[in-house]
Amino acid sequence: MKHVATETVTGQNPNWLLAKLDDLVNWARANSLWPMPFGTACCAIEFMATAASRFDFARFGMERQAFSPRQADVLICAGRLPFKLAPVIRRVYDQMPQPKWVISMGACASSGGIFDNYAMVQGIDTIVPVDVYVPGCPPRPEGLLYGVLLLHKKIKGESLADRALRDEHPLDDTGLRLPPDTIDEISEPFGNSVHQFRSA
Amino acid sequence: MLPAHHTFTARNAHALLAHPMHQPYVAFLLLLVFVAANAVLLIGLSHLVAPHRPTVSKLAPYESGMPPLGGAHERFSVKFYLVAMLFILFDIETVFLIPWGTIYFASSGPPGGPPMGFLLVEMLVFLAVLFVGYIYVWRRGAFRWD
Amino acid sequence: MNPSVDTLRATFGTAIGRSSVTRDGVSTVDVACAQALKVFEFLRSSEHYDYLVDLTAVEYRDPERPLEVVYLLRSLQGGAELRVKVLLDVRQELAVDSVVGVWAGANWLEREVFDMFGVQFRGHPDLRRILMWETYAEGHPLRKDFPLRGRFSRAEQVRQALAGHPEAHYSMEELSFADAHHDLPADMRERLRRGERGTIPHSE
Repeated sequence: MKHVATETVTGQNPNWLLAKLDDLVNWARANSLWPMPFGTACCAIEFMATAASRFDFARFGMERQAFSPRQADVLICAGRLPFKLAPVIRRVYDQMPQPKWVISMGACASSGGIFDNYAMVQGIDTIVPVDVYVPGCPPRPEGLLYGVLLLHKKIKGESLADRALRDEHPLDDTGLRLPPDTIDEISEPFGNSVHQFRSA
Repeated sequence: MLPAHHTFTARNAHALLAHPMHQPYVAFLLLLVFVAANAVLLIGLSHLVAPHRPTVSKLAPYESGMPPLGGAHERFSVKFYLVAMLFILFDIETVFLIPWGTIYFASSGPPGGPPMGFLLVEMLVFLAVLFVGYIYVWRRGAFRWD
Repeated sequence: MNPSVDTLRATFGTAIGRSSVTRDGVSTVDVACAQALKVFEFLRSSEHYDYLVDLTAVEYRDPERPLEVVYLLRSLQGGAELRVKVLLDVRQELAVDSVVGVWAGANWLEREVFDMFGVQFRGHPDLRRILMWETYAEGHPLRKDFPLRGRFSRAEQVRQALAGHPEAHYSMEELSFADAHHDLPADMRERLRRGERGTIPHSE
């Protein structure tokens, strides 16, 4: 298969046959996303509610929750992440086979939430690459479902020709995923946190 | 069926498939071919499409996100082997009981063979020998689970 | 007021400080650090306070006030409750005798106070951090001079957290008998060779 060098706005393949193959593969991937629930706190309860009968994300293909990363497609980090748990989520993410995506559910997973302190990771995007952020404290099940549908849309815009999409990005040799300035910048306090220091 | 010097031509294949004795098996053959093709297609297509990106961390054993500590070769308790072996032994005993039962419980036993009483006693002796073994195993503690 | 307070005053005299009854009806008594272990042994054996409900610490904003290590005791037989506070001077070294020999449940409670406040418990069998990871280098988080967001930059905190030394997850005891000896860092092997162990009591 010749590598197609033409880049389109949507990332779709201009070759008709390959585009149809892309459609098929993306449809299959999007509609059978097996989640790995990395539930740590309150958002995990809302995740369970979304999984239960009233809101039921099994109708979106997320029928089987994979508690092993080996069989999971999407890592849903539901809840705050302490620094002590950071290497665990990084290792679990590393052990997921491609293709894999990450949904950051809730305010704490997205930005540290109300816990702007010494013990909490200020957003899991400092540790693992995130595809969809679902804000809320906790987000309603409809909110999480909307996030899942956004992820479906993202997946359907992917292409098999774009090999770089599915590359692994391990931590660099300083042990970080992003440059330290970027981590400091995205971890900066905002909102009410700006006024809270509480020490000498 | 066909003489050895016949080559495998379409006519011979047709003769094979159209043979009246072969009719039920044609459907089975078709099913086999379809299943094999389906499996090959699904797995092969997935293999072609799937990204393959092994990393050191990905290949390490999964231990809930913790660094794996120690090897996976743990010592097994021997009670599992004992149960399996004893099961096999007494299962074989049961296997021997079944044809004997077929013969014994037919209306008058095997035609022109030994009388029913003899058959019964023969089987009872067999069971008695195994029963002695069972008592031995029991008293030696092989059935103790913990 | 809990009659044990008067008994304590009669037995230990000047080691017993202020006593009061708080709004929840629990008698509170201050004890000097030097006599603390004897007081607890007395409370366990003679006054039958056989249940240590909680062990925690309080530091006040006012630097004149001592750091209090608070022991909440309960007698399962009579239902009597007593709160004992051991007062430590923040300007001195923070150390108190461990009560693990009196109440076994104090093991992890004292580890938490050590982790969060830096109070050394003399005689504790396995004094190491429990909430933060064992090699946490920023200090003791619940002290008043510890900034809310920690002392290092966020990037440095992430880096230290992700470094994930085996020590951060497993105790020395577990590492000493695991087969992964060759995977450990060299200085850890050296410490294990020297016989450094945490002693975790084995259950029968």
